[in-house]
Order: sequence, then structure tokens, then C-alpha cells
Amino acid sequence: MRAAILLLAAVTGPAHAGWSWSEPLTVNTAPGVNIFPHLESANRQGIAVSGGTVGVVWEDNRSGAPQCYLAVKPAKAKGFQREIRLGKQECYEPVVLALDGGRFLAAWEEAGRVYAQVWPQGRRLQLAGTGAAQVTLARGGGALYAAWAEQAGRFRRIVVATLTETRGALAVQSAQPVEAAEPVDEQGWPALAVAGDGTLAVAWEDRRHRHTVPMVSHRRDGGFTPPVRLTDIKSGSAPGGLGAGTGAMRPTLARWGERGLVAVWLDKRDFLSGYDVYAAFDPGTRSFGRNLKVQDSFGDNMAQWHALVVSDGTRLVALWDDARDGTPDVWLSAWDGEAFGDDVAVPGAHGPGAQSDPVATLDAKGTLHVAWLDRDAAGVTRVRYARAVRQ
Amino acid sequence: MQKLIASVLAAASLWAGAALADPPKGYPFVDFDAGLKAAKSSGKPIFMYFGRYGCAWCDHTNKTTFSDAGLKQLYSENYVLVYVDAESGRRLTLPTGERITEAELGVRLQAFATPLFVYLTPQGDKIFQAPGFKTVKDFQDYDRYVRGGHYKQKTLLEFLGEKS
Repeated sequence: MRAAILLLAAVTGPAHAGWSWSEPLTVNTAPGVNIFPHLESANRQGIAVSGGTVGVVWEDNRSGAPQCYLAVKPAKAKGFQREIRLGKQECYEPVVLALDGGRFLAAWEEAGRVYAQVWPQGRRLQLAGTGAAQVTLARGGGALYAAWAEQAGRFRRIVVATLTETRGALAVQSAQPVEAAEPVDEQGWPALAVAGDGTLAVAWEDRRHRHTVPMVSHRRDGGFTPPVRLTDIKSGSAPGGLGAGTGAMRPTLARWGERGLVAVWLDKRDFLSGYDVYAAFDPGTRSFGRNLKVQDSFGDNMAQWHALVVSDGTRLVALWDDARDGTPDVWLSAWDGEAFGDDVAVPGAHGPGAQSDPVATLDAKGTLHVAWLDRDAAGVTRVRYARAVRQ
Repeated sequence: MQKLIASVLAAASLWAGAALADPPKGYPFVDFDAGLKAAKSSGKPIFMYFGRYGCAWCDHTNKTTFSDAGLKQLYSENYVLVYVDAESGRRLTLPTGERITEAELGVRLQAFATPLFVYLTPQGDKIFQAPGFKTVKDFQDYDRYVRGGHYKQKTLLEFLGEKS
């Protein structure tokens, strides 16, 4: 029966229903064999839209070592302008956030430190020193935030900073760890979101339970609430004291509704079929509820990778890549208010070759902007971009 | 038997001061970059253990299989032993020069379960990979397949079929 369903799906092709997509554009100007662009970052924050201008950040090794780049496409331009380099030394995992008036705030890790810079016409600012990485950004409630993982003793822990920005000049107003105590195991890959009521939430992956668990905390009364797990399954060993629990990693976070939040992450609770995409909602109670599997049944027996959630408060979309059609493709699922809808292939990110590593954002008009990696048969990888409106 | 163990492990419930799924004790595992460098220098093939922190099957394999003294000697002497953490953001450099995280290596290997055991040439080219729990005999057979050079002429299944 399952084979028959899969055959039918193959014959009819992927569903694109409900979305009208632009022709994909290539973002990076230096694709080539042995040049490897990456769209990896904390909260998968590789694209932003400000005043109609699209900004995309990535890392590649065209100069011989990993460097971070930002390319922008003004609203009326047909394509992306030539990218600018963000870092000065080896650079990883850049993120970009929309400011006002076509401006952006970018942040990245450079030689074990974390930096941020406003584009255009900003000067870079070091946010954190030695042993910091995996920076992410958020804006909301009239405030600007950054979070990163920072060495504290033997392990890294999550630090959240409030930033100020005045005509391109950045400053750190305050920076504090989510927990004052030194971490007892590794923490990393933070995600930030500001709810509609201005509440700041931070999620991250955490190994204190001796396996990887996404945790979340909220800022309250100048501090952070005690972390709680996003996953609704408990840690625990198998009989015989084997292991400590299934893995879940790379949480992403977005605001949802008037006061709510939504998280999406990769979860291996079904340990025989790779990671699945899971989600949970906080309706505004500052408590995340039951976990929901995001991908549909056609993706069940398949490993999902590079999952993220984007939301403008009223629209909500999860994206990821998986190889259910034979090669990696980018898929999305939209929340319909009660459940995640059928998986939809992103047309320009589906088909021969490998299309993977989506990053996405919803702009003020509700247009979905997606960038992804497209690796062809010759081994050349391009950063590609398309936008879509839901019909 | 494996189905029985799978059922038991899937029903995992209570926190019990769990043992971690790290490399088996006493084996000279190193990280990916150090291993690739050592393999190129020594000419030894690479045995890569792709494990997950807290993974019950990894723990089971460590206790049941890698505790064998003969296996420990066989693999320690004849392979460069590399351990990769399936969910780590630590970086490694592939033979192509591409820099990725250890977790991203799982994407490239299309890993769907841990442990995943990967055999590589001294230059870092994949010979084959085998997911899940393995016995001492499995690893002895894999060793003969790899170090005997049989992988150049036949698949692992063909090799194992001839031996049975």
C-alpha cells in the first residue's frame, strides 16, 4: 500500500499548491568546484527583508578559508548586488536581521569571537570574546537582542545581550548568561524571539540531561526564568542503564499570534528513521505545549535536516530538506491554525541535484522569502533565492 | 534477539544515571581532522565511529562489543580510530577542503541511526558504512574486507556471502 502511495506521488510530482513562486535567482557571484557555500547559523537566520530590500548572508571558502558574505537585492532590482565580505579572519555562521529603511544588522563568529555590524555604513562591534560562537539576533518591543554560546569553564553556555543602535553605531547595553551558574555540560545554537507582548524568549540545545535536549527560557524581571525543555518526552536510559535519551537539536524560534511563540527543531525520538521535524507552541502562557510532528506521512521514513520556523505573527511556515524524492529537496509546511498542512516542495529547490539548507523569512506583506543551497552534478554549489505569496 | 533488544530500547523510560554514549573506553579515538592527518601519514585505514551523545545503541555496542580485548587490539593497531559526535557543532575539514560541522557530516553520510560505523581509506575516501549494533564477529569480518582489499573487487554483501 505504501509503495502504491509513493508511486502515485512520484507520478503526480510534488505538490506546489497554494503558493505562487518567483523565478529563482543566484545570490553568490563566485560559485565553483571546491568552493563550498554554507547557510548554517543559530536559528537559521540567513535571510531578512527590510523596506523591500532582501539581504542574504552565508559563508564560503573562495578566498581559501571560510569567510562570511552579505548580498542584498533592492526592492526594484532584478538581481542581487555583488556581495560584501563581513569578517576579516576565518568567519562562520553569519546571521542577518532586518532594521528599518532597507538596513540590516549582521552578526557572525570570527576566530572564536562574535561580531555584529549594521549595513550599510556601520562599524563592526565585538559582542563577545574568546570562545564565543553561534550568534543569533532578534528585534521586537522596541529592543534589539543578540544571543550566543560562550565558554564558561569547561563548557559553553548561552548569553543574551541587549543592543542599542543609533545611526549605524552599535553598543551592548547589557549582556547576561541565561543561568548564572557555570554549565554542567555543553549548551549551544541559541534561538531568540520576541513575542507580541515584548517578552523575550531564548531556546537552545543543551546536554545537561546527558543527551541533547532543546531548552527554553524567558526574560522576566531583569533575569531569565529557569530553563525548561521544549520536548515533551522525558530523558531516560534504556533498561540496563543504556544511553540517556533520544536526541533533539537545532531549535528555531519565532513569535506567533498576539502573545505566543512557536519552536521547531530536529527530533530523533523515532530513532530508526533519522531526525523528524517537530514543533511546539506557547500560546502566551510562557509554557510550550504538546509536541507536533511537522512533516507529513510521505516524509516519515526519511531523515529531515536543517529545519526552521518563520512567522510574522499571523502566518507560520516550517521549512527543511529531505531526500524523499531521491535527492535532497527543500520542503515547507504551513500552519493552518489547527495543524501543519501537507508538505509542499519549493519548486526551484526541487529536482535533480541537491537543494538543501533552507533559510527563510516572512516580510511585512506576508511574502515568503527563501534562500537555499543548490549543488549541481558537477559539484558546483550556488546560493539560490525565490519568494512566494500564498494564494 | 536484535528485535527484542530494539523493543526494549524503544521502551526506554526511567532516568537511571545513564552511561553516556561516547567512544568506548581504552580505544585511542581522535577527532576527524587529527585522524585524517594520522591516516595519511601512517597509511592505515580509518575506522570512524559516528555516535550520538546519550545514544542507547552506542552504549550497548560499547559494552557488548568493544569490550572485547581482541577487538580492541585488532582495531587499535590496524586503524586510525576517529570519533564524530552526531549532534556537535565542532568543525572538521573534509578531504575536499570543505569545512563542516560534525552534525553536518551526518547529513552527508545520510545517517538515519546511530551508531554508524564508517570505513575510510587513508586518503579519506569512504569504503562503506554500517549502521546499528554490531557484534565482534561483524567487526572482524569488516576488518578482513577492508584490510584485505576485497572492497576493491566486490561489495560487502558479496564478500560476506562467499564467507558464509
